[in-house]
Amino acid sequence: MVETQEITNKSHPEPIRLGREKSRTPSDKAFSGTIVIAALSSLAILVAILIYLASSSWPVLQKEGFDFITGSTWINSSANPDEQTFQIWPMLYGTFLNSMLALVIAVPVSILLAIFIVFIAPDRLSRTLTVLVDVLAAIPSGIIGLWGFLVFTPVAEGWSKLLNQYFFLIPFFRNDQDQFARSPFIAGWVLAIMITPIITVVAREVLSQTPQELLDAARGLGGSLWGAVKFVALPHARGGIVGGVMLGLGRALGETIAIYFVLNLIFEKVNYFQILNPQGGAIASMIVAKFGEATPDEIRALLGAGLVLFLMTLVVNLIANWIVARSVREKIA
Amino acid sequence: MTALQVDPTMKGNQVNISIVEDHQRLKLVDSVAHLETQGLYVWFGNRMILADINLAFPENSVTALIGPSGCGKSTFIRVLNRMHEFIPGAALAGKVFYEGRDIYEQDVDPVDIRTQVGMVFQKPNPFPTMSIKDNVLSGLRLAQIPFSNPDEIVETCLKKASLWNETKDRLDASAQSLSGGQQQRLCIARALAVNPKVLLMDEPCSALDPGSTRHIEETIRDISKDMTVVIVTHNMQQALRVSDYTAFFLALDGNPGQIVEAGLTKDVFKNAKDSRTHDYVNGLFG
Amino acid sequence: MNTQTLDTSTMKPQYPWKKSRPTVVIANSLIVVIPMSVYAFFFFFTDLPGALIFIAIFLPIQIAMAVIMTIFALGKRRVGDAVLSVLSVTAFSLVLALLGSVLLSVAARGLPAMRFSFLTQNNIYISPTTELTYGGVGHALLGTLTVVAIGTVIAVPLGIASAIYITDMKGRLAGFVRFIVQAMSGVPSIVAGLFILAAFILTDFVGFSALTGGLAYAILMLPTVARTSEEVLKLVPKELRDAATALGSSRARVIMRIVLPTAKAGIITAVILGVARVVGETAPLLLTTSNTNGTNLNPFKDPVATIPVYIFQFLGSGYESSIQRAWGAAFVLMIVVAILFALTRVFSPKGKAR
Repeated sequence: MVETQEITNKSHPEPIRLGREKSRTPSDKAFSGTIVIAALSSLAILVAILIYLASSSWPVLQKEGFDFITGSTWINSSANPDEQTFQIWPMLYGTFLNSMLALVIAVPVSILLAIFIVFIAPDRLSRTLTVLVDVLAAIPSGIIGLWGFLVFTPVAEGWSKLLNQYFFLIPFFRNDQDQFARSPFIAGWVLAIMITPIITVVAREVLSQTPQELLDAARGLGGSLWGAVKFVALPHARGGIVGGVMLGLGRALGETIAIYFVLNLIFEKVNYFQILNPQGGAIASMIVAKFGEATPDEIRALLGAGLVLFLMTLVVNLIANWIVARSVREKIA
Repeated sequence: MTALQVDPTMKGNQVNISIVEDHQRLKLVDSVAHLETQGLYVWFGNRMILADINLAFPENSVTALIGPSGCGKSTFIRVLNRMHEFIPGAALAGKVFYEGRDIYEQDVDPVDIRTQVGMVFQKPNPFPTMSIKDNVLSGLRLAQIPFSNPDEIVETCLKKASLWNETKDRLDASAQSLSGGQQQRLCIARALAVNPKVLLMDEPCSALDPGSTRHIEETIRDISKDMTVVIVTHNMQQALRVSDYTAFFLALDGNPGQIVEAGLTKDVFKNAKDSRTHDYVNGLFG
Repeated sequence: MNTQTLDTSTMKPQYPWKKSRPTVVIANSLIVVIPMSVYAFFFFFTDLPGALIFIAIFLPIQIAMAVIMTIFALGKRRVGDAVLSVLSVTAFSLVLALLGSVLLSVAARGLPAMRFSFLTQNNIYISPTTELTYGGVGHALLGTLTVVAIGTVIAVPLGIASAIYITDMKGRLAGFVRFIVQAMSGVPSIVAGLFILAAFILTDFVGFSALTGGLAYAILMLPTVARTSEEVLKLVPKELRDAATALGSSRARVIMRIVLPTAKAGIITAVILGVARVVGETAPLLLTTSNTNGTNLNPFKDPVATIPVYIFQFLGSGYESSIQRAWGAAFVLMIVVAILFALTRVFSPKGKAR
């Protein structure tokens, strides 16, 4: 019989713990350090934007309080600085209205285009259209603005007149100034053109990732193409599409130049729903419009408006990215 | 007794086959072929995958398609429900008769064929965004077949698929909450809801546990009283357990797949006329 | 042994599902012909505006024809497909029409202004009544180049560094940095301009100059460069990095000597995409570089002209000749964008050329 030795906890050596290499050469440390600092620069910039905008505009924001975003008065005066009032509600609402109009036009068009590219178009056409959408995305906003004002507005005026002529019973389409250019309706169209590529690209990406096995199952059960799209592809792509729409919304909220000439800014009166009236608001455009001749306090107010705009787009973008990330994670799981 | 020979000096388009004299065409004297292929050739692009497939499936029977991987069995059943044409580069020649009519004729609506010839896939694919109940009904909705008694349909189909007891209390739960075996049974229930006359099954149990496999085999025996079942399987014992007829596919060395032997299951397995069949069913290659 | 050769060479692949039945062909033709004929009739023989005919007459008839013909030729089941087809083709035509309009307008209206002097002269002595043979975008072109160059010099190292941090260094904050970069991509261009204005110009640190414009551009370029670089670095196979490390390279060396060079094409794409993202942005420049009619060679002091602002300036002035100058500048800008776009496709033919 062989004697066996009992193994106790005390009789064997301590295990060597393998882990991150802590010892690095100085040059390696310098490298890492540089990279880390550079990477965190994004954070620094973001924070700096918030801080600078907030602190620069604070005096005005403090003076106005909540009225800054709910009021509709804007008085600037270098002679009587104390009587100045800066309130952005008409611009804030206008930004919202323009973006909503843009979404109403862009979302169905983008989704239909994406469905067409992924499921209906033959290969060659599909690829061409994808490139064309990328081209549309690449067109600078200044050029869209130029075209929007000089080429598109006359055409859209015609549409507005038709809408007004036949649908005047709906308050939406009433026009009390007999002038149809430079309205939220036209601005909405121009913004829609800008955001369609964004939504289309995301929608196309998500739809093309629909698992083939699910599409096969739908077809095998006797579904037509529309059936497969409706019951399988769209539900699967829902998260991604919503995310894409929100990214488009974020872009529309911050767009300045495309609609600068196309929209007639009225700073002290809100146009709530008469979209064919030449009267509207957009925070970004206002900043550009007033910047040239602004009094010092007015500049602070404009910075405050920029802060509001920044916070809005930040929230929208964060939600959008979260939605897209979540839907991607679900698919992998 | 004839043997299958392949002459390696033969060039691409020419294939040596043996004449399998008595069982070239699968036919049971008394019954009528419900589904039948005649002179079927199948290609992907320029590559011939199947050559001269002549196979007849009697009504309300179970036929197993066996053979090594890659000899075209899955491709073959996709020809039967007109899903082959979805693959880019797919082509075929020959005739496929369903209830007497060539399904590749001009006037035939492929969508219509697919509601009568159903399919269950190898990997369970229930619709993840739908509940169990909605999954069962999804086939009817997709095929736009009107129905007025959803609960009854759901219960009947889940019972036939041996899934009712496990899901009757959670019909509204997501289909993703089911195990793999349960999901596959759900897919079967979904396919049955459309009331097909033929059910094609592509290795339905290959990824499943023995318990689910047993359930599914029970289901197959059960439904074959009212419908024709064609099942592709790699599992010899399964073919023996479940099928009335068996067809053995073989593709050699870059040649297209062909049917070596076909007949009653017990004949193919116990008294194979071809030595290759004999070797295959006894596990000597595969 | 009884063997037989089956000669399969005579069998040719066929595609029975591709043949169209006469019924379907007729139906398809009617779906196209009838609505167009009705549209043409109303267009030529009545005074109704084209847009009205399109919306109120053509579209409804098109949809109705598609539905009716589909039921006739293919059965009720396919109606959904038919409607989907009509609607999606309408969407695609709309987008195509708008895109075409933009490109054609720029080409048609901008081309006449193209001459060598336009590309090289500045506008110091130009008034709205000066002929178009004098003056040009030379100063603006130079300005844009300068501003973009400054932006690139700042954004590219930072962007690539962020990408390296996220992919190769996997620091604890990697996910966080990614998140921040994503948040940054949503910064509106005007906010970037406002920030630089507030932080540098209003504090009298720097004045309106190409430098401040470049800083604003850098903020906008950084997320694009970082995100694209990240995707590109992720594509470098892990085995490559492992091999280099196993051979004894320090981390720095692995990244600088192995990973980055492997990803070179992709990184170049990232830079080009970053440039393309900003090259037409107007809003930040209005607040930082301001504008001038002369050529300013000093990037650190005094306003500089840029093409987007040039367009803005001349569009706003209202004179016919000014508008033509604006179109000319737009044409130049489109050419620049087109070149960048083509370069992107050259450097990443298969990858994510967004």
